[in-house]
Amino acid sequence: MYQFFYDLTGNVIISTIAVAVVPLVNILIVALIGVYLERKVSAWMQDRVGPNRTGPLGLFQTVADFVKMLQKEDATSTEIDRKLYNIAPVLVFAGTFASFAAIPFSKHLIGSEIEVGLFYILAVSSFVVAGILMAGWASNNKYSLLGSMRAAAQIISYEIPTAIVVLSMVMLTGTLSLTQISEIQTAHFWNWYIFGGPGLALSKFLLIPFMIVGFIIIFISTLAEVNRTPFDIPEAESELVAGYFTEYCGTKWAMFMLAEYGNMFAVSAIVSILFFGGYQSPFGYLGNTLGVSWLIPLEQVGWFIAKGWFFIFIQMWLRWTLPRLRVDQLMSLCWKYLIPYAIVNLVIIGIISLL
Amino acid sequence: MNYYDILFYLFAIITLASAWFVVTTRNVIYSAFFLLFTFFGVAGIYVLLAADFIAVVQIMVYVGGILILLLFGVMLTNKITNVDIKSGTANLLSASLLTGVLMGALVSVMIFTDWKVEPAEIQTTTIKTLGTMLLTDYVLFFELLGILLLIALIGAASIARREKE
Amino acid sequence: MKQYFKNTWDGIYTVLVGMRITFKHLFTPAVTIQYPEVKVKLPDRVRNRLYVNMDDCIGCDQCARACPVSCIEIETVKSVPGEDLGITSNGKKKALWVTKFDIDIAKCCYCQLCVFPCPTECIYMTDVYEFSEYDRSNFIYKFSTLDNEEVEQKKINHEKFQAEKEAQKAAVAAAKPKPEAPAQPSAN
Repeated sequence: MYQFFYDLTGNVIISTIAVAVVPLVNILIVALIGVYLERKVSAWMQDRVGPNRTGPLGLFQTVADFVKMLQKEDATSTEIDRKLYNIAPVLVFAGTFASFAAIPFSKHLIGSEIEVGLFYILAVSSFVVAGILMAGWASNNKYSLLGSMRAAAQIISYEIPTAIVVLSMVMLTGTLSLTQISEIQTAHFWNWYIFGGPGLALSKFLLIPFMIVGFIIIFISTLAEVNRTPFDIPEAESELVAGYFTEYCGTKWAMFMLAEYGNMFAVSAIVSILFFGGYQSPFGYLGNTLGVSWLIPLEQVGWFIAKGWFFIFIQMWLRWTLPRLRVDQLMSLCWKYLIPYAIVNLVIIGIISLL
Repeated sequence: MNYYDILFYLFAIITLASAWFVVTTRNVIYSAFFLLFTFFGVAGIYVLLAADFIAVVQIMVYVGGILILLLFGVMLTNKITNVDIKSGTANLLSASLLTGVLMGALVSVMIFTDWKVEPAEIQTTTIKTLGTMLLTDYVLFFELLGILLLIALIGAASIARREKE
Repeated sequence: MKQYFKNTWDGIYTVLVGMRITFKHLFTPAVTIQYPEVKVKLPDRVRNRLYVNMDDCIGCDQCARACPVSCIEIETVKSVPGEDLGITSNGKKKALWVTKFDIDIAKCCYCQLCVFPCPTECIYMTDVYEFSEYDRSNFIYKFSTLDNEEVEQKKINHEKFQAEKEAQKAAVAAAKPKPEAPAQPSAN
C-alpha cells in the first residue's frame, strides 16, 4: 500500500500518513459500529429492544455518545500523577493502533509488509500492558491499581498460549508474514487451515482436529488478552467500578474505548488470518469468473472485514452468555488447561507437518 | 539529510534522553516508565538497521517481559515513592576508573571496527538466515540458553511453591 | 487425569449449551413494552388521579373529613330559596353552592377513603396516571364550577337572605309583646 501511495504522490510523508490513516479510519468505524452492535446484541439476547430513539433503529446512538464525550469536561482528581495520567491513554491506543500496521486487509492493503508481522503484533501488544499499568498507577486510585495489576497479569499469562498456537501455525506455514499465511490458504474454504490447509495429502485430514483445538485455544486466549467478558476481571464493574480507567473521562476515556474495540478487531483479524484464510474468499472470486481484475481487491477487503465482524460477534455472543471468571479460575484455565493443551498440540502439529 | 536520517536522529534522541532521565530522576516509577521509551528507541534503531526480528524481540522481551516485571516489582513494593533514592557520589576513584576503562573500550571498538560505509543491500528479512544460523553454527549456545532458562523457570517455580513447615 | 479431561470436556460443552440458549434468545421477540407509545392495560379498580363530578356534588364535606392527609378542601354557601340547583343523578336535591372544592393531588395518598362516604358517588378514582407538572401549585386541582364573581355573588345573596331573615325575625320578635322566650324546657 505504501508503494502504491508513493508511486501516486511521490512524497514519503504524504504516503506514510495515507498508509496510517486507513487503519485509523477502520478503528473508528469498528468502535462506532461495535458499540452500537454490542448494545443491540446484548439487548436481543436479553429479549430487550436496545437503543432505538436516536435516529432510525437507534443507529446514531454511538455518534451521539461520541459527540457527548468530546465536549465533556476533563474532570480529573487532584491527587493524580498528571504526566503519566495523560500519557497512558495515548500509549494504550498507540499499542493497539501499531498492531494494525501488519494486518493485511487485502493482498496489497497492508500498512507494512514486514516479514515478522505475526511476531510484531504479539510484541506491540506489550505497549498496551505498559499503558494499562501506567493508567492504573497514575490514577492514584485503589480500584485502578488493582484493575491494572489484574489486566497486566492476565494479558501476560494469556500471551503464552497465544504464542504457542502462533508458533505451531508458523511451523506449519513456514512464515511469519500474515500476507503469506493468507496467500497459502487461497481460493476455496477447504484450503483454510481450520480444514487442514491446502493440498490433499493425508496430513491435511490428520491436521483438522488439532487445528480445531488450536483455534479454540487461540480464540479463548485472545479473548482474555482484550479483557472481554468472561475474562473482564480487570474492568469488573461490579467490583472495581471500571478498573484501570475508573478515573478517566471524556476524550481520554474514549481513547481507552477505541483501543478496546480496535483490539477486538485486531485479534479477530489474527484468528481469521491464521485459521480462516484471512482476506481469502471461501468460494473463489467473482472478479476471476467475470474477468474483472479490479473487483478482486474489493472482494478481499469485504471478506476480511466480514470475517473480522463475525469473530467480533462471537466475542459479543460469549460476553452475554458467560459470567465473569474468578481470578484463580482465570489463572488455572490458562496455566493448567490452555498451556498444556497448546504444547501438546504444538508437538503433534510438528510431527504431522513432518509427514 | 533524508527521512531515514531524521528518523534515526529522532530515535537516537528518544533513546538518549529517556536513558538520561532513567538515571537522574528521583522517582522510581518514572525511571521504570522512561525505560519503556529507551527500549522503544533502541527497537527503532534496530529497525533502521534492517534487523526487524531483533527489533521485535527487543520489544517483546524487554517491554513485554522485563519492564512489566520491573513495574510489578516497583508497584507491589510498599511505600516505594517515599524511599530516598541514593544518587549521590560514592567511591569516586574506583567508579571513575571503571567507567573510564569501559568508555575507552567502547570508543576503541567504535574506532577500530571496519564499518561498512557504502550503502549495503538491505535485506527484506533476516529470520530465515537467523534461524538457520541458530540451529547450525550456534546450536550449542542456543540449546544451552534454553536449558538455562528452563532451569531458571523450574527454580522460580520451586521457590514459589515451597511450603511453610 | 480422568478428572482433568472431564473438566475440559465440561468446560467446552457447558459453554456451548449456554451459547445455544443465548442464540435462541437472539431471535425471541423483545418483551419490552415501549411505554409512551404502548401502555399496559391497567386492572379494574386502579387507584390513580381523583376526579370529582361537580354535577353530582352536594357539598356534604364527607370526603374531606374522611381524607387522612387532608388534601381536600371544601367550602360551601347555602342557597337562597327560589334558587334551583338541580338534582343529582341519584335524585338528591342540592342545597349548597360548592364555592371551593380543591384537591391537592401532591398530598393525596391514593387510599380511596374519600370515595366510599360520598352519598352521590361523585368523587372517584380514574385511571389517569401521567400528570407530572413543572410547578407544584399546578397540583392543586380546583373542581368548583363557579368562578370568583359568582362565588362573591352567592355569598352576597346568602348574606342578604340571612340579613332579611334576621330582619324578619326581629320584626316578628318586635311584633310579639313579651313571649315566654325560653319556651322549650330543653333550652336549659
